[in-house]
Amino acid sequence: MSPLLLTLMIFAIMLGLMAIRTPIAIAMFTAGCIGYVTQAGWSPLANFLNSQAFARFASYDLSVIPLFILMGHFATQGGISKALFRFASAVMGRFKGGLAMAAVLASAAFGAICGSSVATAATITSVALPEMKRHGYSGRLSTGTLAAGGTLGILIPPSVPLVIYAILAEQNIAKLFAAAMIPGLIAMLGYMAAIAVYVRLVPGHAPEQNTCLLYTSDAADE
Amino acid sequence: MKTLELLAKACAVIGGGLLTLITLMTCASLIGRNTVGITLAGDFELTGVAAGAAIALFLPLCQVRRGNIIVDFFTSNAAASTTAALDRFGALLLAIAMALMAWRSTLGGLNAYTTHSGTMMLGFPEWVVYACIAPALALTAMIALAQAVQGSGEDVQP
Repeated sequence: MSPLLLTLMIFAIMLGLMAIRTPIAIAMFTAGCIGYVTQAGWSPLANFLNSQAFARFASYDLSVIPLFILMGHFATQGGISKALFRFASAVMGRFKGGLAMAAVLASAAFGAICGSSVATAATITSVALPEMKRHGYSGRLSTGTLAAGGTLGILIPPSVPLVIYAILAEQNIAKLFAAAMIPGLIAMLGYMAAIAVYVRLVPGHAPEQNTCLLYTSDAADE
Repeated sequence: MKTLELLAKACAVIGGGLLTLITLMTCASLIGRNTVGITLAGDFELTGVAAGAAIALFLPLCQVRRGNIIVDFFTSNAAASTTAALDRFGALLLAIAMALMAWRSTLGGLNAYTTHSGTMMLGFPEWVVYACIAPALALTAMIALAQAVQGSGEDVQP
């Protein structure tokens, strides 16, 4: 069998395993093992695996990722997400669609603690969505806002994907973080502007008149 | 499964404690380096090996909660029984892979112990890390095997 055909077959096996709900890591592991065994044999693979768990896990370069995740969890458990959303709604509350803008602002602020989009979206949603629902924001606007706001998590430093890219491509992590800062802020302002335009053009998605401060301290302490 | 779950939680708590300790250690080392000029030589090595041990110790709980990332896009319309069967197959494959890794890591750890291999600066013995990795991988394999045999029963969190 030619190497190219073999590669394509192994690739197909990997994608096939992924498609049938095999954990992605295991699909890649299986594909790699098959390739190793067919090209080099079982003993080289077994010998290679002896030190691989250690070599992959105990990597100083990548140790920044669990530490970022730990930081994000401490921040979430410490109630920072609630405080951020309270602050953001106090700033934005006077505008039409203010709570949606506040959710974007809170996502951006949380992105400065957390390096993952999924974690940012999940954290801010748990605080912001009930509040937006309570004040009569439509499901379309609030969920769309929170999904878009979540993407700020990886743009605004720290960012796990940027760290991985920097390590793989041997780039300077600090420079990459600095480079992502401005696009992140532009995206945040753009999302807010889009919300402001949308709630004015398309009626019925946000409450007409916001009564001063929407997010009261009682709601925050629930 | 209950016992395995308890063990997984204990592993994760140890891992979290390890990460917290290493964070504090790095803070102390950095503050010392930038103020009074006293630093812990080789602090980055300790961070690396502790993070490695912690990641391995988190794996069992990850498997208990079925936290490994899967693609559910293609099977979103399939019947619940089909996805359950596929999940069992995935858990079985994961159990085999983890058992393989646990076995090989044990051998690697024994090798590291007999050859006294350590980190560069501190000479921190690598077998200590292997001693965290191998049991955690074995526990993950057992949990995955239990999930493959039992399926997603009531005692498995969604």
